[in-house]
Amino acid sequence: MAPAVPAVEARGLFRRFGAVQALAGLTFQVERGELYGLIGPDGAGKTTAIRAVAGLLDPDQGEARVLGLDPLRDPAVRERLGLMPQQYSLYRDLTVAENLQFFARLSALPRPVFRERAERLLGITRLAPFTARRADQLSGGMYKKLALACALLHQPEVLLLDEPTNGVDPVSRRELWALLHEFVEGGMAVVISTPYMDEAERCHRVGLVHHGRLLLEGAPERLLAAARVEGLPRPTFEELFIREIEGAAA
Amino acid sequence: MSLASARRQLGAVFRKEVRQTVRDRRVMFLLVVAPLIQTVVFGAAVDFDVDRVPTVVVDHDQSDVSREHARRLLADGTLLRAGDFPGAEAAEHELDDGRAAAALLLPRGLAADLAAGRPAEVQLLLDGTDPNRAATAGAAASRYFGEVGERLARQRLEAAGRPAPAQVVVTPRVFFNPRLKTAPYIVPGIAGTLLVIVTTLVTAMGLAREREMGTLEQVMVTPIRPLWLLLGKLLPYLVVGSFDVLLLIGVGTWAFGVPIRGSLLVLAAVMLVYLVSTLSIGLLISTVSQTQQQAFLGGFLFMMPAILLSGVMTPIAAMPPWLQYLTILNPVRHFAEVMRAVLLRGAGFGDVWFQLACLAVLGVGILGVAASRFRTQLA
Ligand SMILES: Nc1ncnc2c1ncn2[C@@H]1O[C@H](COP(=O)(O)OP(=O)(O)OP(=O)(O)O)[C@@H](O)[C@H]1O
Ligand SMILES: [Mg+2]
Repeated sequence: MAPAVPAVEARGLFRRFGAVQALAGLTFQVERGELYGLIGPDGAGKTTAIRAVAGLLDPDQGEARVLGLDPLRDPAVRERLGLMPQQYSLYRDLTVAENLQFFARLSALPRPVFRERAERLLGITRLAPFTARRADQLSGGMYKKLALACALLHQPEVLLLDEPTNGVDPVSRRELWALLHEFVEGGMAVVISTPYMDEAERCHRVGLVHHGRLLLEGAPERLLAAARVEGLPRPTFEELFIREIEGAAA
Repeated sequence: MSLASARRQLGAVFRKEVRQTVRDRRVMFLLVVAPLIQTVVFGAAVDFDVDRVPTVVVDHDQSDVSREHARRLLADGTLLRAGDFPGAEAAEHELDDGRAAAALLLPRGLAADLAAGRPAEVQLLLDGTDPNRAATAGAAASRYFGEVGERLARQRLEAAGRPAPAQVVVTPRVFFNPRLKTAPYIVPGIAGTLLVIVTTLVTAMGLAREREMGTLEQVMVTPIRPLWLLLGKLLPYLVVGSFDVLLLIGVGTWAFGVPIRGSLLVLAAVMLVYLVSTLSIGLLISTVSQTQQQAFLGGFLFMMPAILLSGVMTPIAAMPPWLQYLTILNPVRHFAEVMRAVLLRGAGFGDVWFQLACLAVLGVGILGVAASRFRTQLA
């Protein structure tokens, strides 16, 4: 057995877009079976970080590794990685079933395997009654669930979710989190970005991203406990992060 | 990934493209109906054949001789009598209003002058708006009166008992398109032009749309290789383009009398390599475009010179030498040449291998460049 490599590794990622330094030395690690949250304000660099890990973007400096492999140069990564982008990423003029089928084929899933998994995912996401509906006629929450189902079809070992709960109703949100916990218990590594602080608390570990690098990292309860020691009586996550970000700006 | 997986992936992209295309009525229109309409319209409009030029006659002489000359000049079909007027002013008015394109002015004393062997001046007023038509009408009149003068001169010499001068007669014989009709020549060129528009634009917009819609990222994190993705996006339009070629040849034959003298196999071969090259150019354009708008503009940037320098509008031989060499890179040129050669001259593989080879090299080469650009561009 080779020594266990982290499921996801970002080492000193830098990336500049024109005048904007989107990533400025971002470093983090995620183990198998871990649910890692990238938390941060708009424009912090969360999406850029996730794209770098997915091999969709070449960092100016630093490197990303997925299961020890280079996502930019090793196509094998793509058979073991699932991505749910922040923006619309499915074919709006295709139906729910057609989208699922298309992405299953791109992952070269055998037909019986696809049937069984699609059925299960449609059941979990409760999209089964809507398979004939075009993606552009789904509600925001239903669309997100379909995108999640597409990212899960090939049962990836690493799942990257970019603000998956944005625009999703509270009930569906709770369901989604329950699902994620189920996956990580099965050994999947999940990286999730979210602007919601209540969601941060449901991660095993979080990293607070600001201006392209981590301001703070750790298990949510440990971060809160540390803050209490520093003199905040009963801080919420939100207060904690706002204090950090304002501190970084000062 | 095994070859079987690659085939599945290719099939998936192919089916997806077909579904999206069939569901998009505008694209279907662009692909099938527009080329048909354009061929019919262009074939009918781009008619360089000049005959039946409406001509008014002003006969100041009013003699049997002058009437006979007007009748014979207007009898051969190039000029068509559009009325008789007493004075030049009225005739000019007809030209101004566009009711006539030429006016024949026969001077007073024409019969007497000719009989006496004095020089006579016949005037022809021409509408120069269409230079081609004006030149043809002018040539018809010059030819007619030239022959008249020559005949008179000979008669006078013979009457004086002297031998007639030797003369050189040019007898043109036109091959391949004996009636010098424009349509059989222009329609194959138009077909190539329309095809490049349809195929290049559709594929150029295709990838750009995926990028704009965000679907490309989702596709790029799956194991599909760029070449299979591009092939999957190209093949459906190869089918549509082939259908268009058959449609255009059908219309050309049926409506414009374009003959099919050569082998259909050569036609099929040129169609295939031509479409692969134009579709690949579209893909290449879409790899350098971020948005559909950029892709559209890029498509035009390629198509305008490609069409103008294809020999469809102006002969390649009339271009400066360096530009002639450059047109070797122009697929439209090769396609138009092969189509004309096969349809009008009955050419076989042996006659058009150079063009076929150029198209094949262009198509495969450009597709390769597009695929490798596509790979490095994401990174
Ligand atoms: N492709 C790009 N071209 C130019 N600028 C970019 C690009 N991608 C990101 N940026 C810029 O980089 C910065 C970080 O963007 P990023 O999308 O990573 O932030 P984010 O944390 O995901 O924000 P949000 O919560 O709004 O999604 C922003 O200022 C953004 O404008
Ligand atoms: Mg983002």
